[in-house]
This record gives sequence, structure tokens and C-alpha cells, in this order.
Amino acid sequence: MMLADGTAQGHFGPMIRLPPPKPEILARRDAILADLRRLLPEDAVIGEAIRLRPYETDGLSAYRQMPLAVTLPRTTEEVAAVLRYCHAHGIRVVPRGAGTSLSGGALPLEDAVVIGLMRMNRILEVNYADRYAVVEAGVTNIGITKAVEGDGFFYAPDPSSQLACMIGGNVMMNSGGAHCLKYGVTANNLLGLTFVTIEGEVVRIGGQHLDAAGYDWLGLITGSEGQLGMVTEVTVRILRSPEGARAMLAAFSSVEVAGQAVDAIIGAGVIPVALEFMDKPCIHACEAFAHAGYPLDAEAMLIIEVEGSVAEQDMLLNRIKKICARFDPISLKLAESAEQSLAIWKGRKGAFGAVGRISPDYLCMDGTIPTGELPHVLKRISEMSAHYGLGVANVFHAGDGNLHPLIMFDANDAESFRKAEAFGADILKLCVEVGGCLTGEHGVGVEKRDLMVAQFTSSELALQRAVKSAFDPGWLLNPAKVFPLEGNEALAA
Amino acid sequence: MQTSFTAEQLRDPDTAEANKILRTCVHCGMCTATCPTFLLLGDELDSPRGRIYLIKDMLESGRPASEQEARHVDRCLSCLSCMTTCPSGVHYMHLVDHARRHIEETYVRPWPERALRAVLARVLPRPGLFRLSLRAAALARPLARLIRGRGTTAQRLRAMLSLAPATLPPRSPMQEVALHPAEGTRRGRVALLTGCAQKVLDPTINEATIRLLTRMGIEVVVPRGQGCCGALTHHMGRHDPAMAAARANLQAWGAEIEGQGLDAIVINASGCGTTVKDYGFMFREEPEAALAAKVSSLTMDVTEVLERFDYRPSREAPGLTVAYHSACSLQHGQKITTLPKELLARAGFAVKEPTEPHICCGSAGTYNLLQPGIAQALRARKLDNISRLDADLIAAGNIGCMTQLSGDALPVVHTVELLDWMAGGPKPAKLPA
Amino acid sequence: MSAALDKVTAPDTEEGVAEAVRAALASREPLAVEGRGTKRAMLRPVQAARTLSTRALFGITLYRPTELVISARAGTPVAEIEAALAEKNQKLIAEPPDLRALFGVEEGATLGGVVGANLSGPRRITGGAMRDHVLGIRAVSGEGEVFRSGGRVLKNVTGLDLCKLLTGAHGTLGVLTEVTLKVQPAGEATGTLALRVAGLEEGIAALSAALGSPFGVSGAALLPEGHAPLGLDGPVALVRIEDFAESVTYRLGQLRAALSRFGEVSVLEGAPSRAAWRAVRDAVPLGAQPEEAVWRISVAPSRAPAVSAALREAFPARLLLDWGGGLIWVAGPATADSHAAVMKAAASAGGTFTLFRAPEALSAALPVLPEEPAALASIGQRVKAVLDPAGILNPGRMRAGA
Repeated sequence: MMLADGTAQGHFGPMIRLPPPKPEILARRDAILADLRRLLPEDAVIGEAIRLRPYETDGLSAYRQMPLAVTLPRTTEEVAAVLRYCHAHGIRVVPRGAGTSLSGGALPLEDAVVIGLMRMNRILEVNYADRYAVVEAGVTNIGITKAVEGDGFFYAPDPSSQLACMIGGNVMMNSGGAHCLKYGVTANNLLGLTFVTIEGEVVRIGGQHLDAAGYDWLGLITGSEGQLGMVTEVTVRILRSPEGARAMLAAFSSVEVAGQAVDAIIGAGVIPVALEFMDKPCIHACEAFAHAGYPLDAEAMLIIEVEGSVAEQDMLLNRIKKICARFDPISLKLAESAEQSLAIWKGRKGAFGAVGRISPDYLCMDGTIPTGELPHVLKRISEMSAHYGLGVANVFHAGDGNLHPLIMFDANDAESFRKAEAFGADILKLCVEVGGCLTGEHGVGVEKRDLMVAQFTSSELALQRAVKSAFDPGWLLNPAKVFPLEGNEALAA
Repeated sequence: MQTSFTAEQLRDPDTAEANKILRTCVHCGMCTATCPTFLLLGDELDSPRGRIYLIKDMLESGRPASEQEARHVDRCLSCLSCMTTCPSGVHYMHLVDHARRHIEETYVRPWPERALRAVLARVLPRPGLFRLSLRAAALARPLARLIRGRGTTAQRLRAMLSLAPATLPPRSPMQEVALHPAEGTRRGRVALLTGCAQKVLDPTINEATIRLLTRMGIEVVVPRGQGCCGALTHHMGRHDPAMAAARANLQAWGAEIEGQGLDAIVINASGCGTTVKDYGFMFREEPEAALAAKVSSLTMDVTEVLERFDYRPSREAPGLTVAYHSACSLQHGQKITTLPKELLARAGFAVKEPTEPHICCGSAGTYNLLQPGIAQALRARKLDNISRLDADLIAAGNIGCMTQLSGDALPVVHTVELLDWMAGGPKPAKLPA
Repeated sequence: MSAALDKVTAPDTEEGVAEAVRAALASREPLAVEGRGTKRAMLRPVQAARTLSTRALFGITLYRPTELVISARAGTPVAEIEAALAEKNQKLIAEPPDLRALFGVEEGATLGGVVGANLSGPRRITGGAMRDHVLGIRAVSGEGEVFRSGGRVLKNVTGLDLCKLLTGAHGTLGVLTEVTLKVQPAGEATGTLALRVAGLEEGIAALSAALGSPFGVSGAALLPEGHAPLGLDGPVALVRIEDFAESVTYRLGQLRAALSRFGEVSVLEGAPSRAAWRAVRDAVPLGAQPEEAVWRISVAPSRAPAVSAALREAFPARLLLDWGGGLIWVAGPATADSHAAVMKAAASAGGTFTLFRAPEALSAALPVLPEEPAALASIGQRVKAVLDPAGILNPGRMRAGA
């Protein structure tokens, strides 16, 4: 389908309701662009349709919406200037990091200005004595670790998109990663932020010290998905890297038994640095792609990693091996070297890509469940898979209950996509039903916005909305995300 | 990703191929992390993911390419770092090559640019013409400061003049000899692609290759009719001249394969190696499909050949530290990452790699001529990273990189020159005495 | 405050708590909110007609050791929770202090109290603070409505994180009725290196080296006066390892080698090690006298020596440093001048302070927390207006007029 501006649009447009754009803003588009070009350097404002198009989506590419304009500021002052301007003129704002969000966190609005952090990518300060680093919000997650790894340090939260995702986005989503069982999530690894309010006020929150007095603004802003303001600089904790790490693989004949093994490991007081679970479809997909030697007859497989000196690694791996042995494993393989560890991880690390090769597209879900509920949940998911006629492979952070079902579908088939979405929603509702929650690390974004009613009562949602309003009474900041649109007067046309 | 080509559009095999590639992309954005232009410019449009999206839009709409699309695709280095990073196996190279062709065929560039590109496409692949133009450039060099202005054309002209070497190496007859017999027992027979620009800029690369291979007992042929591999014109989107150049090579090599047979087609300019290894794809719908597939399967980088025939040094290590510069075409295009380092270490050198080894030096074929601003920024970044290694020299496997990185503190040589030196050849003249 | 203590409501159900708040709202009567009131002397005195206590709202409601999760009602004594965890060889990660001695009270703290005050002990430095382990809460807002945030799973980013907002809010944004915490295995064994250092600078440097090592230190304190009951001469730096026995032995050995350049090393293992850290946790080596004021300063560790020097210059300050130097306990004369010196020292080191314990007359008159930038203060007022529109929950507890 051709649009008036000569660009093409797919068979079906955005699949999710967005608040109606403000007609007065759309009407003033040219004037707004001209004003933005006065506030920022020429190359920092994008207004032509062709150049706006790649910004219409993020890691959840099924949803697309062209923005009004895109700005790429380089400094906190420029960010503040744009926010101040937008606030003064009632223009909505959508913050954007690397655009790797799997929940549509960076999906624009037709009448919104996107503020992208990608050019704010400098490391400002590294302090090993006090163990912190101050970085601009556009520094990638791995970029922080790279800056300090030469001196034996690292930044712990490691979402699997860490190569590309930016720390500003990590803060907004409270990102996790495989390391978080032992080291915590983003919120547990921050010391301070430079925060810009919708009015364009720049506020320093926290600093280089632990535990600020007063209300925990740092804690509230982390994970707030751009609802409360924008973050331009972040002070993170950096940790000394352990002496080494090594992995092992344990394959089991049933999901139940694998779950029992996980319980026994934790019950024995061992907290591995990673405890990854893969189900049979996932094992097969990974093996086909990576040829890592995964056992194809296993119903469930665990990859477990421990840290410490070589002797400590041996001690821990042997403890875990003894525990796993009680559950009649199909195979147990302890890596004896770094190369062998890499080989064990190779399949798991390529899991998403592997699924992408056996299916035209996939939806990566993100719900959390009490770990004891895994066998029941996986059984129900496999029933849903038969019902919807769509394949699914499951990756599970066994230590912390975060489940990533990968639902296979074909984006060129509208029906397939609709089914995939329904399947995903059913899984998330099941997660809430068994005592878990809708999202463990990807955030609500637009993807799970309309499922919030499954987890919260209407008065709880009203309370959260009111807290958001305390920061942003006009609902200019990312208004289409997190909270269902129904009944929100601030979003009515 | 979802695509929306019409059935009509998909009847064209190139479009069908583009659709297949676009479908494998899941828009995850990992590629942005390792893209040199995204690193420098911080704009989604200058990242592989953004370019994929622009290209998708451009091809689906069927409309002629516009200035915006040309600009952002032109800025792509084709370093293929994104392909190394992509978890989904998107064949970005084939997609961007197709897009370049579409742009070349449907977008009318401003005339100074058209003229410049036409000159480059005509001159660079022809050693005789290239040599003449370099002589002219050497003469014109002092006049570079007379080229005023910050406009693109002025920048490009200045860049061209500054890249032209001050002195040209003398012609090398050795490169023209058709057959170089093996020393001692013949263990194998290979064809050597002597190249085009490389023959003029630095004949010692071919000389060192021939010496080393023949010394190792390998007969080296330089078939008549062989010439430019077509990469230059191919990357400019000029499909027909590229195919013509490739076809000439296919015929030359075909004759040798049918004749006395070849164990390998050796390429010592990795930028060419990537293209020749892609001949099988480029000719998939052509009558020469089978021959092209055969040729691609026989093609090896010189380091692969040396490994295959068990390269060994024959003299003591000179106690030098080499900063190994991994050319994009070698590490990303051909997935040859550790082999050159292993060979250099085997030869007795201490080998170090700079940080950000996956980031392009900015040479990228004609990129350093057509996108001087970005190319210079990348050059400075690469040389800065190398300077921290405390090395004695830089080694690379591609003439483009060598030219780009020359003129700074360290001498730049080809990997094969060092390997030849350690196995009975002369010390490279570029190294200090 | 005593008027409030005559009228104490202690509901034994969550709905009872909600009713009490609604009643207070209806009669426009501010409430002093507390568990067992162990920390009444903390921060500022509350002007309230009635006290709402959660002491009768107790009991562990969920405990899943293999899921590392425990839930309990807010009035549950911390001691009871710790006992239940100890039975399964688990522990509260943040190591909340037992402040009975410091506050001169008999009863121990409740879960709601330590969460409301975000109190963390030595293990905070590597294990995280109380607020890092609050997975979920149930609370009653200032409008008498029950609400939840978070849940009972370790990974949860669904919606705004009101758990973080209410932790450390000292009951001013809601009355906690139930809290779910992440827990951890208690290490099989424990050991402590005690380093006799020359002074605070060397001590901080030693702790920094320990925390910057790969050996997973779980406590790093500096006792300027030592601690006679443990036979520790000051200044002494303490570094703790908690892990499997083989790891404790190995790591103490490695740390000993790495840190011996800072001073003479001795090792405490098992019971003496535990005793030392309980003392540090409860600020016992500080030796705060009942008439003295106690402050807590939070700074970047490398600033701690300068802050300490400034304080000692201003008044006879006694100090205890924890969190590698990032937390400075201060005991000194309960005067406005001492307080001014504390505020100045904290501010010039880019850190923050809390007037932790002081006679009412002093804490009523002085800012117990640093002033916030105007933009943040105004957001704070608006957030408070959302959760407690009539301002009846613990008014004035943290700041005058708030």
C-alpha cells in the first residue's frame, strides 16, 4: 500500500491502539520542525518522511508508527531544551535508546517528538577506588564493561542485547540478564542519575555514594519506562571480575526432574552465576544451528555456570554434579577449560538466532513465574501451542523464574501474527495466574500494556497513573506505554 | 520482518532474493553496535538495521531511489561487520549490493559526483590508466591547497590527491609473467589474481606471493585475460561492467581449470577475495553458473593457501612486534580471523591486535575517496588504537587498508611480505634497515 | 508524641489497618505510623493525635527456600523471620541492624519497620540494601485503600516500582501491611581478616583493595577506636568472607597476602567473626552515649577520611565506618553546631546525611535529611499528595511540614 508521501506501508498497520494524535500539533508540524532546528544543530533534527521511517519501530518490529520528528541531542542541555520546548507547546515526547526494546518501548506516536540518546555515548569518569563509572545514557551496556575490563572490572547486569542496548534504556526498563541471579538487576547496580523532567529541569539524583536519604527517586525512576522523565547520565557500580568462570551442562528426561534439580541446587546453598534452562524444541533449534553437542533426546537441559578460582570452580561444579546425579540425568558434562565452557554456551547464546532460522519470525515473550511452577506452566504452554498451531521454544532463567517463550510465526501472514499475539497474551496471563508477573525484564512497553489489568486492580492502576501524573501532569512523556489507555482523560482527543 | 512485495515484483529473481534476506532480519538492532558509521554518527539511518529498513521501503515501493536513500547507502562501508554480529544470518552484503545497483540505475546523481564516479570506475580497474592518473595526481598534489571549499566535491578531490602516493614504485615485469614454475617437487598448481590497483600501488605484494609460493613447491600461473575482479564497479552499483570483469576472469580461470587444472585460485587482496568468493552467487542466474560456483569454491586467500600447504619459516625471528590489522573483507567477508595471526606467530613475530579490531579503517574500496570525512575519522581512530600497541610495524592483508594506514608513524606491509621474508625472501623495503 | 501513645490502634488484619486510616481521614486526625515503635527516636518526632501500630499484624505468610522468597506481615518481628530463615540455612541479605541498644528500647524491630526505614547492615556493600530485596509489598494508602506493588518473584518490572518508593519512606507514603523479600543461603562458614592499620587513610585504602579484589568480600568496616570486647585495637579494618568452608579458607588466605602491606593481620573465624560483625552491624563500637546525637553519613569511600577529619575538628566526634567507608556512623554532642558540621562535611564530600537519633528538641528544630533540589522537592510534594492527600501519615517524620 502506498502512502501519500510515497512510502510504502505493509498489509496491516500498527496492531495496537494508540492515543489519537493532537490535531493542533499535526497542523503545526512544519513550524515545530523549524523551532527544533533553531534549538539544536542542523544535523540533530530529522523531519523528512524517508528519514523518519527507520525510527517508526524498534525491536518489536510488528508495531510501526511514524513520529512527528526525531531529535538526536548530544548534551543534557540539548535534551532539556527539547523537553522544555515540548512541554511549553504540549507536544508529546518518546525517548529512544538503541531501539532494541522487545516490548515496543520506543514505538513513536504520530504527534510525538522522538528524543534519541544515541549520540550521547561518552564515558565521563571511571573510579576504581570507589568502584563506580559515570557514563552518558547512550553508552552501550557492553561499552561500560569494555571500558573497565582491561583493569579487571565489569558492569554486572548483562541483558542478551548488551552489545547494542544503551544504559539509558537499561535504566528505563530495569534490565536484567543471565548474571542477575547473583548480581542483581540494573536497579541494584546504580548510584546516581542525571534526570531531566518534562519541564526541562535537570536534577542530579544520588551520586557516587550508596543509599541516598529521602525518597528513593533512583528506585522509582529505574524501570519507569520513560513515564517520569529522561535520563542523560548514569553513575553505575562496577565490580571486580571474579577469577574465572566455568560451565556445565545437565540434561534430564523430564521438565519436572530438571526443576527438582534446580530446587536442590539452590536448597544446597549454591547460587551459580548463571542457571539457564532450555526445553526440547529449544535444544533442537540450537543444536541444528550451533552443533554444540547438545543431547537431542533430553526433555530439558540446564547450563550452569560458577565463578571463582579454578579450585573453587571445581568444588562448586562437583557439588552441583553430585546434586544433579540424584535426578538420573541423561548426561552431565563439566567443562574442563575455557574453550569447553564456550562450547557449552555456544548453542544457548545463539538460541534466538537459531529459532529465527527455523521460523520466518518469532515473538520473544517475557514473563516471570515462581520457579516451582515451571513444569505446570510448560505443560500449559505446550497445550496452547497445539491449540494455536504455532511452535514455541522455551528459554528459562531457572534461578530467578524469568521465562522467555519464543513463539514462532510468519510476519507476512496476518492471521499468523494475530495468533502469535493471542498465544503470547495467554502465556502472560498464565504467569500472573500462577503467582508471577507479566514482565521480568523487557518491560511493559506497548506489548503488555493492555494486559496490565490482569495483574493490577483498577485502583492500583489509578494509583500508578497518579504517581506518573505527579511527574508529568500533561501526560506528554511516552503516554502510550505501560498504562492502558481506557479511562485516561489526559489522552482523549 | 514483515515484507510487502507484490507477486509481480517477486517474479524477478533479484527481488525475490532481496525479499528472502529482508525476511530473515528480525530488526533486533544488534548490528548497530558494531557498525562504524553508527558509532560515528549515532543515527539509525546510518546503521545496518536502518539501511535495511530504507532499502526494504525503497525496493517494495518500486520507485526510483532518492537522494536520501543514496546518501545513507553510500555511507555504508560494506565492511560487513554487521554480518559477523547478526544472530539471524541476514545476508546484508547481497542486500546492499542489490540496493546499490538499484540506486545506480534509478537515481541521477549531481553531475560532479557522476563525473567522479565515472572516472573512478573507468580508471581504477585498468592498471595502465591508473598509473597515468597517479602520475598526474603526484604532479597536482602541490596544488591541492588551491582546491577551496567545504563542499563534497572539493573534499573528495582533496582526499584523492592526498591519498595518491608521492612516488610510484617502478613497474614490475614479474607480475606479467604467465607461468612461475615451482621450485623442487611440484606440490600444487594455483592461479594468482594479480589484481588491478594493487599492481600499480604495490607490486611487491604479488612478487612476495609468487616467490613464497614457488619456493614452497607450488606452480603459480597468472592467466592471460585475467584482470580486475569487478569489486570496485560492483560496489558502485555498476552491474554490467562488474559482471563483464568477472566474466573475463571466469573465462581465464575456466581455461586453466579445464587445462592443467588448479588446486586453488589465490587472492592476496582480501577485498577482491570476498567478491571472487561471491561469483557463485553473482552468476547464479547466468549461463556461467556452474563455472562460477566452481571458481568460488577454489578461491582462497593467500593465508589459506599457505596454511593448506603447511607454511614454515626458515630463518630466525627478527624480534619485531607486528600490529596486525584485520581487514574487514578478511575477518567479516571471508571469516578469516585467527589464521593470519597464527601464521605471523609461526613465522616468529610477536603479534598484537588493536582494540576495536572489528571496526573498519575507512578504506573500503573507493570509500576513502567518496566519503572522505568519515574515512578520515575512521583512519584516525584506527591509527590511534594501533599506536597504543607499541608495535614496530603494521601488517594487513589488503592493499586498500595498507594505503589508508600509510603515512603515519609505522611502516605498513602486507602479511605475505613478512611471511616470505621469514621463509627465504628479502626483507621488505618498507621496513627500516 | 506522648498524646499519640495514649491512643494506639493495633489492628490484627489488613482491613483493620485500612479502616483505621479511613477513620483518621474522616476525623482529619494525623497518625503516627509504627511497628513496635523501636525507632521512635529516629529522624523527627511526629505530631499526631493517635498511633497506628502494625504490631498485631504478624506472621510469615509464604516461605519458599528454593525460590529464595519469604513473605510476612509487617508486624512480624525481624527476629522471628531470621529464625525461620536460619532453620533452612538462609539469611536476610541486607543484614538489618538490631538497634535496641542504640534506641534504648526493649523490643526488637518489625519487618515493616526495617523496610520502612531501609535499614541495612555491613553486607549492604556487596549484597545490596533492604530496598534491593523488597520484591513485593501490600500497603494501605493515606486514603485507606489497600494496594500492592511488585509480587513474589525475583524479576519483576511490571509497572512503576512503588516497592522502592515505599521502602525508606518511613511510613509517610503508606502503611506497609505485608512485605515479600528475596533471601539468600547463609554461607556455610565465615571468617574475618582484622588489619591493624596506621590511620583512616590506610584503612580506607585497605578496604578499597579488599573490595576491589575478586574474592567476594561481604563486609568491609573500619573501627577507628577498635573494639575492646573483641580484643581489637584501633584503628582496625575488618574484611569478611561468607561462603563454603573451602572458599573461606582460600579467600582469607588470598586477602591476607594482598592486604598484609596495610598492617598486621589477624584472623577471626566462626563465632568470633560473627560476633564482630553483629557489633559492627549494631554500631556498638561507636559507643554512642544516651545523651549524644547519632548521625549516618553516606559518601564515596575515598572521601571518608576527609569527612572524618572535618568532623573531628568540629567536635569530639566518635566514628564507625562501614560499607568500605561509604557509611560513616557519627556520635557526638547533640547540638545545632555539631549538626551543622555534619551537614557541611557531608555536602562538601558530595554525600548525604541523616540525623539518625537525637533528643526531640533538636530533631524537631533541625533538618534531619538534606534539602532536595527544588524540582525534586516539588515532585515529592505531588507524589505525597497522591499517596496521602490529607497528609495524615506520619506528618513531619522526614521533613518539617511534609
